[in-house]
Amino acid sequence: MYRLSQSLTDAFSRRFSRTVREDYRQDEAYASTPQGRFWLAVAIVGLLLLPLLLPQYPMFVATQILVAALAGLGLHLLVGGAGQISLGQAAFVGIGAYTSSHLSGDLAPLGILAGGLVAALIGVVLGIPSLRIKGAYLAIATLAFQFLADYIFKRWTDFTGGVAGRKLPAEGTMLGLSLADDRVIFYLGLFFAIPMFFYAKRLLSTRAGRAWFAVRDNDLSAQLSGVDLVRSKLTAFALSAFYGGIAGGILMHLIGAVTPENFVLSFSIQYLAIVIVGGAGTVLGAVLGAFFIVLIPEVLSVIAGAFGPQYVAQLSAWRSVAFGVLILLFLILEPRGLVGLWGRIRDYFRTWPLPY
Amino acid sequence: MARVLLEAQDLHLSFRGVKALVGVRFSVSEGDLFAVIGPNGAGKTSLLNVLSGLYRPQQGRVVFLGEDLAGQSPQARVRKGLGRTFQNLELFRGMTVLDNVKLGAELAVGGYTDLAPKAVQEWKIRRHAEEVLDYLHLSPYRHAPAGALPYGLQKRVEVARALAGRPKLLLLDEPMAGLSLEEKQDLARFLLDARREWGVTLVLVEHDLKAVLELSTGVLVMSYGEVLYQGAPAGVRENPRVAEAYLGRSA
Repeated sequence: MYRLSQSLTDAFSRRFSRTVREDYRQDEAYASTPQGRFWLAVAIVGLLLLPLLLPQYPMFVATQILVAALAGLGLHLLVGGAGQISLGQAAFVGIGAYTSSHLSGDLAPLGILAGGLVAALIGVVLGIPSLRIKGAYLAIATLAFQFLADYIFKRWTDFTGGVAGRKLPAEGTMLGLSLADDRVIFYLGLFFAIPMFFYAKRLLSTRAGRAWFAVRDNDLSAQLSGVDLVRSKLTAFALSAFYGGIAGGILMHLIGAVTPENFVLSFSIQYLAIVIVGGAGTVLGAVLGAFFIVLIPEVLSVIAGAFGPQYVAQLSAWRSVAFGVLILLFLILEPRGLVGLWGRIRDYFRTWPLPY
Repeated sequence: MARVLLEAQDLHLSFRGVKALVGVRFSVSEGDLFAVIGPNGAGKTSLLNVLSGLYRPQQGRVVFLGEDLAGQSPQARVRKGLGRTFQNLELFRGMTVLDNVKLGAELAVGGYTDLAPKAVQEWKIRRHAEEVLDYLHLSPYRHAPAGALPYGLQKRVEVARALAGRPKLLLLDEPMAGLSLEEKQDLARFLLDARREWGVTLVLVEHDLKAVLELSTGVLVMSYGEVLYQGAPAGVRENPRVAEAYLGRSA
């Protein structure tokens, strides 16, 4: 018995010693421990291999998650980072989608980038009211922007195709690859998403992130610590819109068309839900939140389908109720979101089987 | 005589009818530990707010390093080396202690364009921040959210954040209010050390008369926005006007 406990404790100290950081440089890195680096590599390789393992429809859902995660991450920089509430993220996704729909085929990546940039530019304009108004009032201002954007999407037919929207050529190709293939779109999405996730993580842990958190926590004190309020708020709005715009471009290619109903208020609220359910404050939260928000309806409809086709219509109403209840439960039971839950699970297993 | 760092020239500030500052003038030389004392509502905090640019005086000038600060924003003044801490804690409660101090350290180390993070610069900021944390005995708490710490430590974090920016002059608004005796002594020691090591000139508003008279090199006594006394700490107790303001007329 003594032997056993001794070997357990030894194994334990070895495990911990691997997580010791020896200088500040290591502490600042993306993944500061060998284990962290290992899992990060596994995650990236897994993402790259995913399209080879899954059939079309799951890839469609996976790409949806990717889009939601990217748009959610953008909003997360703004809401969780700089503390500015926005109800207009779907509008930026829309701006990105419409802009990139004008550049398809071989130019698709360029079109997506252009969508992001146009969205960022308009994001700066939306950021200007935030210099004077805060909290709920700002949320109303962004809500007004959301409705305005929706109106323009429907009326500016030359650019947006009006209510009918714009449709991409069905046999569009990029560098010889079919853009109708969801796997290609997934890779196209990853091409943008992976660098953008690293960039966001970096920003949040360096100067820009500190300035945003400072503005969020206490803007008076931020000023007296030398933070440029105007610059911080506007960069947060611009980046948030940029991420939304890129997500919009990818979404447009995924659907193969662009119509106004993909960018209405309920989607803005959905993106906000991703931030809240995921847990404000970390990049991982946006990913987990997107998984949750996109997958739960899918899972619920699979469950509904399992009861038999005659129940599907009846249960689809209950699906929304179940979805709402799940989000509510989340907010009550785990206010720090999925990230907090994950942290607790990790801490449990880190010290398992000797919790003290 | 050391050179004059900060000079207030005939400052007047009033809110509607209330006169917060009436012709306040004083100067602080390099290396001073200058204390501002006075009863509640004497205008001490208003004075600091005018100095750091949160209030605009109706009349008078603030001269820092020989330059008139009129029209300069608070953050511009901070970047010039005019640091500030608050009476009621104004920490970034959701940020870790380390991030709080790093934010201050950017002022001393020099930042970079915020959208293009530079690792080398970031490590410099980190090293600088760690040095300050170490100095103020805050290293064990570096990854704790600032808002979760006990009050005395939060006060110390706020001082650390301000000191990390290596201000030439630091305005401290009641840094010792609400602290226990030991915490006060610790803080006083930290401040004196910072002044000696880093050459930070200190201006502090304080209620604790004993601490002020022991620590400071110069004292300004205010009451109802007016200056009652300015000079060496030894003279404060003898001054009849100060005794009147503090203890009442019959004394």
